[in-house]
Amino acid sequence: MAAPFKPFTDTPIGYVDNDGSPVAKMKPTLSDDQLKRLYGLMVLCRAIDDRGYIMVRQGRAGFLAQTAGQEASQIGSAFFLEKRDWIFPSHRELGAALTKGMTPGQLLAHVLGKDLDPAKGRNMPSHYGDGELHIVSPSSTVGNKTPAAVGVAMAAHIKKSGEVSMCYIGDGATSEGDTLAAFNLAGVFKSPVIFAVQNNQYAISIDAKHQTASRTFAEKAAAFGFDGYLVDGNDVVACAEITKFAIDRARAGEGPTLIEFLTYRYGPHSSADDDSRYRKKEELELWRNTRDPITRMKKYLTRQGLWDDAAEAKLQDEVKAAVEKGLAEAEASPLPAPETVFDHVYATLLPHQIEEKIEIFGHA
Amino acid sequence: MATETATRTFTMVQAVREAMQEEMRLDSSVCILGEDVGPRGGVFLCTEGLYAEFGGDRVIDTPLSEAAILGAGLGMAMNGLRPVAEIQFIDFLFPGYDQLYSEIAKMRYRSAGMFKVPMVIRGPYGGGVRGGVYHSQSPEELFAHVPGLKVVIPSNPYDAKGLLISAIRDEDPVVFLEPKRIYRAVKSEVPEGAYTVPIGKAKVVREGTDATLISYGAMLHVALEAADRLKNEGKNVEVIDLRSLVPYDGEAILESVKKTGHAVVVVEAPKLGSFANEISAFIAEKAIEYLEGPIMRVASIDASVPYNIEKYYLPNADRIVQATKKTLEF
Repeated sequence: MAAPFKPFTDTPIGYVDNDGSPVAKMKPTLSDDQLKRLYGLMVLCRAIDDRGYIMVRQGRAGFLAQTAGQEASQIGSAFFLEKRDWIFPSHRELGAALTKGMTPGQLLAHVLGKDLDPAKGRNMPSHYGDGELHIVSPSSTVGNKTPAAVGVAMAAHIKKSGEVSMCYIGDGATSEGDTLAAFNLAGVFKSPVIFAVQNNQYAISIDAKHQTASRTFAEKAAAFGFDGYLVDGNDVVACAEITKFAIDRARAGEGPTLIEFLTYRYGPHSSADDDSRYRKKEELELWRNTRDPITRMKKYLTRQGLWDDAAEAKLQDEVKAAVEKGLAEAEASPLPAPETVFDHVYATLLPHQIEEKIEIFGHA
Repeated sequence: MATETATRTFTMVQAVREAMQEEMRLDSSVCILGEDVGPRGGVFLCTEGLYAEFGGDRVIDTPLSEAAILGAGLGMAMNGLRPVAEIQFIDFLFPGYDQLYSEIAKMRYRSAGMFKVPMVIRGPYGGGVRGGVYHSQSPEELFAHVPGLKVVIPSNPYDAKGLLISAIRDEDPVVFLEPKRIYRAVKSEVPEGAYTVPIGKAKVVREGTDATLISYGAMLHVALEAADRLKNEGKNVEVIDLRSLVPYDGEAILESVKKTGHAVVVVEAPKLGSFANEISAFIAEKAIEYLEGPIMRVASIDASVPYNIEKYYLPNADRIVQATKKTLEF
């Protein structure tokens, strides 16, 4: 099969322009239904994200890393993954977690640290995880998840299970030593792993130019013997198409791929950050008003004759209902019992833990 | 008639190798990864012959990166395998320490049990081989302190095999530290076939009534030497081999200390913040009314391990004898 994409380009690969018109010679393989589902997931993701932000403002959640602006790169990249495939999200990967199958109720319960969160609220908000869906909640020391993502892929190769491992990192995490160790390992073992670099152009306050002297993050793959692709991360069609290509390659035993999704976050790094200290409002407005992934996709679908006001109204109703239902589930879910603080340190309680538990709770 | 089990006189290297070999034969999910573990057989030959028997998919030579070894092992363990990661010298683990501290140890907890990490991290540690600063350290407390990790240190080939088999079968990550000073210096009878020594159980290696020496790893043998000398002076000293640091066998310690009334803890790490402190505090908390003298700690000097004058750095029998007399004469 001739590769449909060129690696290491200076300009991002795209299918849909900012104004929603198709890019010449780039014909999607996605079905009409898939295109509409991608759009619907983005709208739902934005609504869940907005709801999380409201909960922070209300003081009900202590922290959030907003996803708004990055829906296309996250949802497009996760769209063709199967249930058996693995994702290693960074914080902020709400869209990827949603696409992989977490429900609005679970996602909002995670933000509130409730029992309905598959990880039982063990992690700060925006660190999504679910064992059954092979979503590995991240540690907050960015970059150090990457070797495990390769290890999962190495095991898939050894077991001949056909699983693919998708590792999300930000532009900042490409500077971590463990990330480079993982790139190297994946290259040597031709592991079925995809490194999805969400280049939202800021690692807290450090912009991409101060993160690396490389022209692109994609080109870093060349040093490790595999291809890197620079993609318009706000073009959900491009994000889905390029990732499908990388997934197919990985499953066929053709090794790792690095994809740089060029995108932009609208919110600060997190609810604890003040982005006015390091970026200009005009820059944010430029991205939000002229490059928004959701607006762009809606224009595209409309141009293609796949979308109209009635479809939009129906979707908005469905999204509203899904978020309301999710919120109700999350709110109804209890906090985990205090005694569970001892659970899952080990498979079973060790003697010193039993003693501590009796000391604190009066029973083992 | 019971089936005869062949017993051989083995070094710890042979025992460690046989534990891995037998477990790999029994369980196809057990695999090895590390630097030079393949055709080279490991720099101490702990994996000699295993690449030839099991092939490169199960005895995996990795690039030179401890973060990659530990992190890849974590991923493999999460995805259904039972990796045994060899760290060439435990001193070299630290480029990958974050993998152990932030990822391997915390994965089960932060996923509320959705992911587990049945993984062994093993390698040679400790001094006495003129290895200088970076081939000699005893950093066991840096592992023992981390919730989610188990820490095991054998003192002889029989225990090494049985404990390593237990570690490989354990559902949680186990840091398995092999005292390289006695890799070949101490031999013992090792039976063929799988047997386990339980993690978390200490062993009374010498019974006595006057004082309790608590140690593990290579220092156990120094403690035994001290016990011999004390015996010549009429002091009957009990010696406990801790074998596991996490979990440690508090019952065995208390039983002995309540009997003798004196405790001396011997470790190879520098004293400040060492595991001797945990044991000492435990004894003080649980059995102070039985004590007839201070709990003594004998440890390495609070310095890095010097290449040339190492023998003044490490605990020796003299220092253990002196410490024991100090508490006995209190």
